[in-house]
Amino acid sequence: MIVYDLVIIGGGPAGVAAGIYAARKKIKSAIIADGFGGQSLVSNDIQNWIGTKSVSGFDLAKMMEDHLRAQEGIDTIYPARANKVEKTADGFMIEVDDGKKIKAKTILMTTGSRRRKIGVPGEAELDGKGVAYCSTCDAPIFSGKTVAVVGGGNAGLEAVLDLSNYASKIYLLEFSDKLKGDLITQEKVKSNDKVEIILRAKTLEILGDKLVTGLKYQDLAGNEERGLRLDGVFIEIGALPNSDLVRDLVKLNDREEIIVDHKTQQSSQKGIWAAGDVSDVLYKQNNISAGDAVKAVLNVNEYLNRF
Amino acid sequence: MKNVKIYSTPTCVYCKMAKDFFQKNNIQYEEFNVAEDVKAREEMVEKSHQLGVPVIDIDGEIFVGFNRAELAKALNIN
Repeated sequence: MIVYDLVIIGGGPAGVAAGIYAARKKIKSAIIADGFGGQSLVSNDIQNWIGTKSVSGFDLAKMMEDHLRAQEGIDTIYPARANKVEKTADGFMIEVDDGKKIKAKTILMTTGSRRRKIGVPGEAELDGKGVAYCSTCDAPIFSGKTVAVVGGGNAGLEAVLDLSNYASKIYLLEFSDKLKGDLITQEKVKSNDKVEIILRAKTLEILGDKLVTGLKYQDLAGNEERGLRLDGVFIEIGALPNSDLVRDLVKLNDREEIIVDHKTQQSSQKGIWAAGDVSDVLYKQNNISAGDAVKAVLNVNEYLNRF
Repeated sequence: MKNVKIYSTPTCVYCKMAKDFFQKNNIQYEEFNVAEDVKAREEMVEKSHQLGVPVIDIDGEIFVGFNRAELAKALNIN
């Protein structure tokens, strides 16, 4: 069985940055990825990736994959997912979803995060039947329709703007008493005639039989139940870190993020590092994920040289 | 040769990934832009009973979303 000095799990900006640095440091390494580019893959236009004025998530993902594959000395295990990580006497054993097992002296978790669901009746049943999680993908299908966006953070605001090109009416539901997200985006949303913002709204149920027909929410201000007639509901309420794989090995915080030492990115478990959205980094950003992953690899390199 | 149709929107990255996958594997496909083509949109909803893209029709077998492994199996690609 092949033993790697470092196995990177995840192919987003953190994983790819780590892979490039690991290869250049000549660390005997592998990266397990089921895709590249991370969560901004679905973004139409990324304007803050340093060095590029504007790039689509799709193109950025390709650029990252190309940059990674141009490196010699790192094995790219793709498309693949890690199913299991176990501690062994001299490191870790990783089970890949094709059943293959690989050994690693150190692991860098760059598994990112996934979309959070509300967990109300109707959400799972009507998934794809009007309940949607990707406004850039699905907004055009709701042309001339009435929709709601749940979540008043950046993702929710951007979904409203995506939808405003197509839908005839958009309700934006936010649980707290004010919108979050960038002020510049808030202004765009507020100035759009199609948009009605409903604050202090707690979503209770998504209604519909074959397709979405409406949504029930609790007005927390007046404490009464209200309903909306809708054709679609876009859910944009943030993310959950993909930390399950090492749940029993490392310390997680109450948000399920891997707690790391922010100088080195080391977790509470000797031999496991984490970077990007799966870690307890305060700001979830592509540039930060890449930088933190580089920091992690440099620290892994020191660690490997020492032992 | 199997008859492959993809119902897509111009901004949908998973549609792009699916088309990339077809091109890399020399699979001919017919594309319908459901952002503009209302008839195709209705056809897509009828076939898939849902509203998300991409919808891929391979000889009548319907796939929602882009799942490389499932498509590879349906198209006999290794």
